[in-house]
Amino acid sequence: MNTIQMDMDLTQKLTILSDAAKYDVACTSSGVDRKGNGRGMGNSVAPGVCHTFSADGRCISLLKILFTNECIFNCAYCLNNRDSDVRRASFTPEEVCTITLEFYRRNYIEGLFLSSGILISPDYTMDLIYQTLYKLRTVHHFNGYIHVKAIPGADPELVERTGFLADRMSINLELPTADSLKKLAPCKSRNTILKPMRQIQNRITDNKQELAVYRRAPRFVPAGQSTQMIIGATPEHDFQIMSVAEGLYQKFSLKRVFYSAFVNVNGNSMLPALPGGPPLLREHRLYQADWLLRYYNFKVSELLSEDRPDFNIFLDPKCDWALRHLEYFPVEINRASYQALLRVPGIGYKSAERIVKARKRNSLSFDDLKKIGVVLKRALYFITCSGKMMYRTKLEENYICENLMRDKTQIPRDIREGGYQQISFFDKELQSDFQLTNLEAIGICETQ
Amino acid sequence: MYIFLCEDSIDGIFTGVYDAWASRYGHANIALTTHTPDNYSLFDEYITVSCDPVKSAKVARTMYERMGGEAYQELCQAASAREDSTSRKHMDKADAIYKTIVLALSLPDAGKVLNYLGEPYVRRTFQLSRSTFNEAHHLLGFLRFQELENGILFAQIHPKNDVLPFLGEHFSDRLPEENFMIYDATRSLAVLHTKGNGFFITDTTDLNPEMLSRFSPGELEYRRLWCAFFDSIAIEARKNPKLQNQNLPKRFQRDIVEFQRDNSGGALF
Repeated sequence: MNTIQMDMDLTQKLTILSDAAKYDVACTSSGVDRKGNGRGMGNSVAPGVCHTFSADGRCISLLKILFTNECIFNCAYCLNNRDSDVRRASFTPEEVCTITLEFYRRNYIEGLFLSSGILISPDYTMDLIYQTLYKLRTVHHFNGYIHVKAIPGADPELVERTGFLADRMSINLELPTADSLKKLAPCKSRNTILKPMRQIQNRITDNKQELAVYRRAPRFVPAGQSTQMIIGATPEHDFQIMSVAEGLYQKFSLKRVFYSAFVNVNGNSMLPALPGGPPLLREHRLYQADWLLRYYNFKVSELLSEDRPDFNIFLDPKCDWALRHLEYFPVEINRASYQALLRVPGIGYKSAERIVKARKRNSLSFDDLKKIGVVLKRALYFITCSGKMMYRTKLEENYICENLMRDKTQIPRDIREGGYQQISFFDKELQSDFQLTNLEAIGICETQ
Repeated sequence: MYIFLCEDSIDGIFTGVYDAWASRYGHANIALTTHTPDNYSLFDEYITVSCDPVKSAKVARTMYERMGGEAYQELCQAASAREDSTSRKHMDKADAIYKTIVLALSLPDAGKVLNYLGEPYVRRTFQLSRSTFNEAHHLLGFLRFQELENGILFAQIHPKNDVLPFLGEHFSDRLPEENFMIYDATRSLAVLHTKGNGFFITDTTDLNPEMLSRFSPGELEYRRLWCAFFDSIAIEARKNPKLQNQNLPKRFQRDIVEFQRDNSGGALF
C-alpha cells in the first residue's frame, strides 16, 4: 500500500480524496464573522461565500477533502468502506496545508472542509486531523473558515482540542433511526454519534459564558455544529426524518441539518437501486420544510402526521399547509402580525420583515408588494391589501390548489428539467395520496 | 424644473446633492440626473455640476452622522450601481438618492429611511443598493487571482456595478501580506494593495498587458490541481448544467479559471 502511495502525485491524491468526500453535502462557510488579524491570511463573513458551482450545480465553498479514504469501518452506503475496491490515498498534514493556502490566496476557496476515513483507529485519525488544523492555524497563521468532522468514537479530549481550532464541527447522523444505522453501519452506533454531539454542544454553551467574561478567550466551534442524514436508503418516512431533525435543533442546538439524496455508489444489494436517479425532489421538499422549522416557526406536527407521513410531491410544504388551514386566511397585509405574514405562501421571512417596516409609513398595495419581493402568483389567494383581494378568487381548497399547481416553480426547474427523470413524480402510491384526480386537466403531465 | 447634471460616481452624485440643496430652489422644483439627456426639454433649466471632493465629503459626513454606518453604506452602494436605460426613464438614480436623503433628513430617525419601501424613490434606492451588494457579494467568491512572475496576485473582473471599493476592502482584510491588483476591465480601474498597507483605486491607462500573461512557475500547477478538484467533486448522478449556469451566470464565467481552460495558458488536459 505504501509504495503505491509514494508514486502517487498530488493531483491524483486530490482527485481520489475529493471524489471520496463529495457525498458529504455540507459545504457552507457561514455562521461566523471574523476580521483578518493583519498577518498570515484569512477572514470570514457570516453569510458565507460560494466560490464556484460544480457540474451538478452545487455550491463549492470549501476545499472538501478526506484526509484519507482508507477505512476500517464497513458502512454499506459508503464508497470507502473497507470491503470496496477503490484506490486508496492519504494526505500528509503538510500537503493539506499547502493546498489549502495556495487555493485560498488565489480565492478559489473560502476555507477547508476536512473529513476522513478511519485509519487504524478513531483516536489515531482524530489526532491526524488535529495535527493538520494545528499546523494551519498556528504555523501558517491561516485565519479562514475550517469545517471539520468529529470522528465517532474518538477521545473527547482530542475532539475538544480540535474544536478550538475549527469554525464548525459536524458528526453525521447518517440514518434517522437506530435500527437502520445498525443494519447499514454496524461499526457505528447511535451512542458513538450522539455522545460527541452532546459534548460539543455543552462545550459551546460553556464557551459562550467564558466569552462573556473574557472577551479574548479562545473560541470553541463559533459557527456551531451541523449533521447530515441520507435520504432514501432506508424506508423511513419524511415524518420520522423531520421529527429527528426537529429534535436535533431543539435538544442539540444544531445550526444545520443537511439531507443527502441517496446515490447507490456500491451497487450493494441491501440498498435500493433507485433507477430514476437520486430522490432529488424529496430532498428538495425536506430542505423546504427544514427552512420552515428554522425561519418560519413551524413545527413538524403541523406539517406532517402519522396519517400523512410524507410531503406532497406536487406542492411545497408551506402551500400544502396553507391549503389545509384556510381558516387563517385571508391575511390583511397592512395589519397582520409578523408571525401571521410568515405563514403566507409567497411571503418569505425577508419580505415579511420589509412589509412590517414599510407599512409604518405608507399602506401597501399589491404593486408595492411585488416590488418588495413577494411572489404574488402564490400569495394572492391568501392576502388582502386594505381589505381588497387582488382578483376575484375563491377561498376554497380545490380552486386554489388547481391554480397553484399551474405555477411551474412548485417543482423547481432544475429538478424538472434535470437530466435524470424522477420516477417518484409518477409513482402510483404517491398519486393516490394526492387530492386531485384528473392530473391531465391541470397540466402536470406536461412536466414529463 | 431645475435639473442638475452630475457625474456618475459616488462623489459626483453627492456633489450634485450638495449643489441642489444649496441652490434653495425648493425640493419639489429640483431633479438630479447622471445622464446627459438626448433631448433637452424647453421649460427646464439644466445646471451642470462639476464634481467637487470637498462638497461630496461634507454630504458623506452628514449622512454618516445622521443615518449611521449601515444606511450610509446602502446609499454608497446605490450610487455605485449601474442603471439600465429602461429603469432610468422610470426614475433616475441620482434623483432617487437625492429624494431619499431629503426624506431621511426630515425624519426623527434618519437611519430608518430605507425601511419605508412604500415610497417609490426609497424603493428605487433600495433596489440599486441591493444590485451592487449582490454583485459585490458574488464577486467575493467568483473573483480569481493569478500569481504573476513577480509574485503579484492579479485578478480581472467585468462587473456591471462599480464594486471595486467593496472588493478592495474585503481582500485587503483577507490578504494583508500579499501584493495584489483587482482590475475592473469595464471601467479600466484597478484596486492596488501592497503588503502591509491599505489599498487605493487608480485608473489603468499604463497597464502592461504583456506582464499580465507571464505567470509564476507554480501558477499553472495549482490551476491544474484546482481544475482536477473541481471536476472530481461533482456527483455524476446529479449532473445538472442548467442549475450550474443558473447559480453561476455566464457573464462571470469568462473570468473564472475553471471555466476557461482552453485559453488559460495552453491546453491543460
